[in-house]
Amino acid sequence: MTSVALNRAGRGNGDRIHIPQVVPMNIVGSPASRRQFLSTAGCLLAAGNASFSLATQDETSKQSIQPAADPRQLVVKLFGAGVGSLDSYGTGIIVSPQGHVLTIANHLVSTGFLTAVTADGRRWPVETVATSTEHDAAIVRIQARPEDVFPFLDLQQAVDAEPGTPVLAWSNMFRVAAGNEPVSVVHGVIAASVPLEASQGRWKFPVKTPVWILDAITNNSGAGGGLVVDESGRAVGMIGREIRHARSRIWVNYAVPLTALRPVVAAMIEGRRITPSATAADSAPLISDRELTGRFGLTMLPSVIERTPAWVDAVTPDSPAARAGIRRGDLILLIGDAVITSVTDVRRQITAAVPGRELSVTVNRQNELTALKLAVPPARK
Amino acid sequence: MMRLGFVGTGLLLSWLLLETSVIGQQPTVTPAAPATATDARTREQQRIEVLQRIAPSVVCVMASSGEGGGSGVLISADGLAVSNYHVTSGSGSFMKCGLNDGRVYDAVIVGIDPTGDVALIQLLGRTDFPVAIPGNSDLVQTGDEVLALGNPFLLASDFSPTVTYGIVSGVRRYQYPANTFLEYTDCIQIDASINPGNSGGPLFDIQGRWIGINGRASFEKRGRVNSGAAYAISVNQVLRFLDSLHCGLIVDHGRTEFTVETGENNTAIVSQVSQLSEARRRGLKPQAELLTFAGRPLTSANDFQNVLGTFPEGDRVPLTWRDNTGRHSATIRLIALHSFRKAPELPQERRRPNPDGEPDSEQKPEVEQLPEEIRRLYVERDGFCNFHYNQLRQNALLQPLKAQTRAASDPASVWILNLQIPLAAATSPAELAISPETVGLRLGQSAWLQKIAEPEPGEEPPAFPGLLTALGQLRRLFSTDASAFSEILAAGSTVHLPLNRTLKVLITRDGIRTARWYFEDSSPFPVAVDVSYSSELDEARLILDGWQSNSGLPAPGRIGVVSSSSEEITWLKVDSASIRKQ
Repeated sequence: MTSVALNRAGRGNGDRIHIPQVVPMNIVGSPASRRQFLSTAGCLLAAGNASFSLATQDETSKQSIQPAADPRQLVVKLFGAGVGSLDSYGTGIIVSPQGHVLTIANHLVSTGFLTAVTADGRRWPVETVATSTEHDAAIVRIQARPEDVFPFLDLQQAVDAEPGTPVLAWSNMFRVAAGNEPVSVVHGVIAASVPLEASQGRWKFPVKTPVWILDAITNNSGAGGGLVVDESGRAVGMIGREIRHARSRIWVNYAVPLTALRPVVAAMIEGRRITPSATAADSAPLISDRELTGRFGLTMLPSVIERTPAWVDAVTPDSPAARAGIRRGDLILLIGDAVITSVTDVRRQITAAVPGRELSVTVNRQNELTALKLAVPPARK
Repeated sequence: MMRLGFVGTGLLLSWLLLETSVIGQQPTVTPAAPATATDARTREQQRIEVLQRIAPSVVCVMASSGEGGGSGVLISADGLAVSNYHVTSGSGSFMKCGLNDGRVYDAVIVGIDPTGDVALIQLLGRTDFPVAIPGNSDLVQTGDEVLALGNPFLLASDFSPTVTYGIVSGVRRYQYPANTFLEYTDCIQIDASINPGNSGGPLFDIQGRWIGINGRASFEKRGRVNSGAAYAISVNQVLRFLDSLHCGLIVDHGRTEFTVETGENNTAIVSQVSQLSEARRRGLKPQAELLTFAGRPLTSANDFQNVLGTFPEGDRVPLTWRDNTGRHSATIRLIALHSFRKAPELPQERRRPNPDGEPDSEQKPEVEQLPEEIRRLYVERDGFCNFHYNQLRQNALLQPLKAQTRAASDPASVWILNLQIPLAAATSPAELAISPETVGLRLGQSAWLQKIAEPEPGEEPPAFPGLLTALGQLRRLFSTDASAFSEILAAGSTVHLPLNRTLKVLITRDGIRTARWYFEDSSPFPVAVDVSYSSELDEARLILDGWQSNSGLPAPGRIGVVSSSSEEITWLKVDSASIRKQ
């Protein structure tokens, strides 16, 4: 996203918002850490050439790997596939020395093709490890060599915060820092801790535990997955999506508390499967495969397992699906703004479609993203 | 109007939360945390004092019709003020400006930098305008507290500026032209609220030093209101262009005759170099690693673009690079990026908004008749923003010079300069003869003669290529003949290399010969000149040092010849100078 021009309508002892470091686990409160804290905070990478030395196993044993000291070393910029209002970029937080990255479970993660840019400007391919739709969180992993060690946030050190706490939020918002520049930081205050009723199109925000409402504009394009720290530099939250409140339709700036994500992150890193809770399932009967073929001309791969990928098996000639340009072999990734991870997701989205409207359908065809428009035919009597 | 209310309330709420939370906070283990209510009150008091000091310099800029508007900041007691190009574009040559004294002043456009989105205007009617004091924006760091002042939504009917507070979210940001030519390089990203109408207004650090011009913001799904990501043009960039703007120019940005791409391990790698470029002559080749540009270390193509974008066309900048033969350094002159001959049009959406951000109606407002003494401050001329200001500077530079050169400009006179030229270990005497038509140099058994009107690069002395052509231009500069040059223009100020002093520039053109004359306030004579006389050859670069008058002929006590390959100066001592009648 580029910025646009608005309509008309020798530094000595200047004050500086203290940019705290995330307190390293092993050296909390030690005099050495405080000195380091102050000195780093005072000269935070003014040139924008963030660089840090990566300890290798030759130099350092795994036991002494320390979580990183500067929030912006923990935050990675993610670049992937986007279409329409879905951004092709996002943010993540490194949560293990092996390069596991916590982010939100959005289209970037589900469509794959991700690249991460670490604070030192290096670019890495990224693989998806696990997602939890219930927590709207995902773990992806930087595909590094075994000897690569990353500065990371130890989630055990994440703390809860009270409303009224001043915070700083770091993110890749608006892809401002497109090259090897450091991510952006905004300041604000935790305004409230409440369960959030919000939605994005038909998608309902799934997290049931309270989230923090922030009084700063943190939830911008690409900011989801960013890091929120308190003024002591303690990690407190992960910036959420760009989303509107369900009733007021006001854009909500929120962060999910890291303490609430801690158990699920551990499970995802270990590769345990995250089961969606029963309440998340849609109770309405879904469109049948027969009706999908008869009315839309769209035949999906038979749904033999719960997560059968949404491959198109056949397209009836001269049907709405054919007119939309859908082809056999396409993998459906998105319908509208909803991420499609299975044949069932396709049926769920099409069930809710309004006759006479157009659905935007994004497919992966030979590793290229193609956006198509599917006209929704009248419902059968 | 709902929206305005919401913005206002949101801001108030955040202030309250910030204040109360600081007061209510228990001291933590954090050494740097603000701890006490006293601190908070002290800081508040300091902030109030700073705002009282800086607010009078903030300008509300309106089209003469009074509709639409933006912001600006006063920088000189005689009323010069900086704003955005996209604010003044479409306002016409004259505008109305409001200050927080509640008064409205007439103002005239002075100069524009369309690429950098900067405009210089002059408020009229006072010689004691309050001014903002610039800081050094290169020292601004992420996390610094900032204050943005301006007139968002044109809220203030009494012109007292709206204040928003934030922090620096990032420095040295690059913002693409985005469907226009407006390019924000090396800019300051802030999270202070910036809304339509803030454009052109100043960004201050918390001490009240002017560090930028707010002009741009990231907008996406939420409409054209603050999104927490706004961008300010750095004051250092503005100041680098300021004197050129003051000369009434359409100031262009510079570009290089080579391209750079990001290499591995955070390097900036030269990808292409133009055949006839100065950089190629200095030995810069593809694959070389560009280490520094204008003194700044580079780690990416973005870095390079960032630094380059803060320089005007015509500036000479140093660079260093590394290739398989080692490390090298040189200086190159930046060439013009756009070469606008008139003020370029902005897309409709980028200009002339009304307070609600809606595009306003197409009907032309009625322009009031301004008094003659104001109208004469604007002179239209192709290639200039306001030629009146160029004429002022030309007069300031040329009139003192002409007063000193009457005898020397006599067309019947020949200037004779006896030189001592260092050659090898010893110095050799030489004689220069400069007539209105020719320049000759005799050195021992050798002699060179150059016609001023049609010089031949091959006829220059090999040790000092371009010397005779450059001295021929000096003879023309002293001439009283108005047609001695095809064009004369004042071109602001620049840092002269290798003198490394900021000097005023006058450009003269004579056929394909372009001379840049450098002046300083203490002397009527140029202290240096760079003459370009062939696209394939290096400029002749002379330092004219120690001017003295010799029976009617002012001449420098020594002439320094700058080698473009080494940047070293060879001094030719002037033993004597005299006029010989033809």
